[in-house]
Amino acid sequence: MRGQMTHLDTDVLAEFRAGLITGRRGVTIAAHLAACDRCTALDDKLAGVSALLASVPAPPMPDSVAQRLEVVLAAEVSGKNNYAERAQVDRPGESAAHDQRAARHGFRLATWRVLVPAGAAVVLLAGGGYGLSRLVGGPGSPPSFSSAAGSAAKSASSAVPSASSAARAGSPPEAAAAPVNPAASAGSQLRSPNRIVNLSPATLGQYVEAELRLPLALRPMQTASSRVRGCIHLLAASAPLQLVESAQFKGQPATIIVARTGQDDTVWVAGPDCSAGHRDVLDTVTVP
Amino acid sequence: MPDADEDGPSDQELLRRHVAGDSDAFGELFRRHRDRLWAVALRTVCDPDEAADALQDAMVSAFRRAADFRGESAVTTWLHRIVVNASLDRLRRRAARPALSAGDEQAFEALVAQDGDPARAVDTRLDVDAALRILPPQQRAALVVVDMLGFSVADAAAILETSPGTVKSRCARARARLLPYVAHLQGNRSASESVSPAQGGDT
Repeated sequence: MRGQMTHLDTDVLAEFRAGLITGRRGVTIAAHLAACDRCTALDDKLAGVSALLASVPAPPMPDSVAQRLEVVLAAEVSGKNNYAERAQVDRPGESAAHDQRAARHGFRLATWRVLVPAGAAVVLLAGGGYGLSRLVGGPGSPPSFSSAAGSAAKSASSAVPSASSAARAGSPPEAAAAPVNPAASAGSQLRSPNRIVNLSPATLGQYVEAELRLPLALRPMQTASSRVRGCIHLLAASAPLQLVESAQFKGQPATIIVARTGQDDTVWVAGPDCSAGHRDVLDTVTVP
Repeated sequence: MPDADEDGPSDQELLRRHVAGDSDAFGELFRRHRDRLWAVALRTVCDPDEAADALQDAMVSAFRRAADFRGESAVTTWLHRIVVNASLDRLRRRAARPALSAGDEQAFEALVAQDGDPARAVDTRLDVDAALRILPPQQRAALVVVDMLGFSVADAAAILETSPGTVKSRCARARARLLPYVAHLQGNRSASESVSPAQGGDT
């Protein structure tokens, strides 16, 4: 109330309705409301604001946002679990048990270990229905990767391979984490866009940070493609490589290249046309 | 707010499992509440891209700081608090380029022009969402949490990290300010024609 004003203003009414005005002033407002149709109508309108807001349904999270957040959280999980995950490469029996355990839930980062004809080991990660292929080595792989590849092969063969599980590879999360028959499905997995994680500018830095928590010796560092090796040389020159992974970036095939540049690591997202003579970079960020 | 899934572990149990090292637990918790968390982020920052960024910041923060949860409130309250804080942080960061100044009717008209004439709009939510942008962020967050998500004033105070009285005050000012812009959605335009927008400042 303001002095002898006849009618209540909206702010006062709103505060009165919220219980913020009590005592004598509250009694006066209540008395005025009882006698004034105009202010009662305004009071009803104010009550209608809350009712209107309550009636508006919550917008469902868009699939693109849900997918992005699943990837980000999978990267967080990966950052926490990768030590144990990679350590199991040398303990194949436990690795199979881990995969089966992870397959019980929709949110996980199960590891599929398969062989490719060229002798390179390929590790497919599937988290919540998204996967990331890693080309770890080839003929020129360092000894540590050769060892990992051999163990990976043993792990895959001990992980209950089946053709049906390979067929489920692109299925929703509930069905996607079963171990895969290495001989039957490696090639098709590599070609399936559903199996490659689709990074974006928003998720790139965080994903790379999670990957860099792995010991250097356990990170994928070399690809089988001479074109990509040329691209790496063009971008990183002699900077120490920290990570090389194949992925998708905003839906495009890409190679994530990370090299130590000074105090930080520089991340390049190389496009499919990147080579020793052509700088095709989709994005670049620096991570500490 | 419900804190348990009838067919599954409670939110608190999921958080405990996450802290204990269960790599599935946080994802399940996130999926259980993601639409409501998205709603509070989207309606607080009023921009889908910013909301996605804010929610990402919030979920990563919650993932990493889960051990800090002391059980003094419901897990949903804790999650909403983190999302609201991340959303308000986003708004502060973009303060140099505000989309709207509070109570700016010209800006509102511009919004309406983008979203369609509210008098003829079919989609009520568009109008409400557009009108929400008129509010200062703190008032908007309070109104979203209390009136749109249905939290009690006490829970809203925990989410917004303020007193119940401040929550009531912010909500009251916000409702008064919104009234002229949403009155037509109540089926009678007389209020919007006769009531001037509230001119109170942010709390």
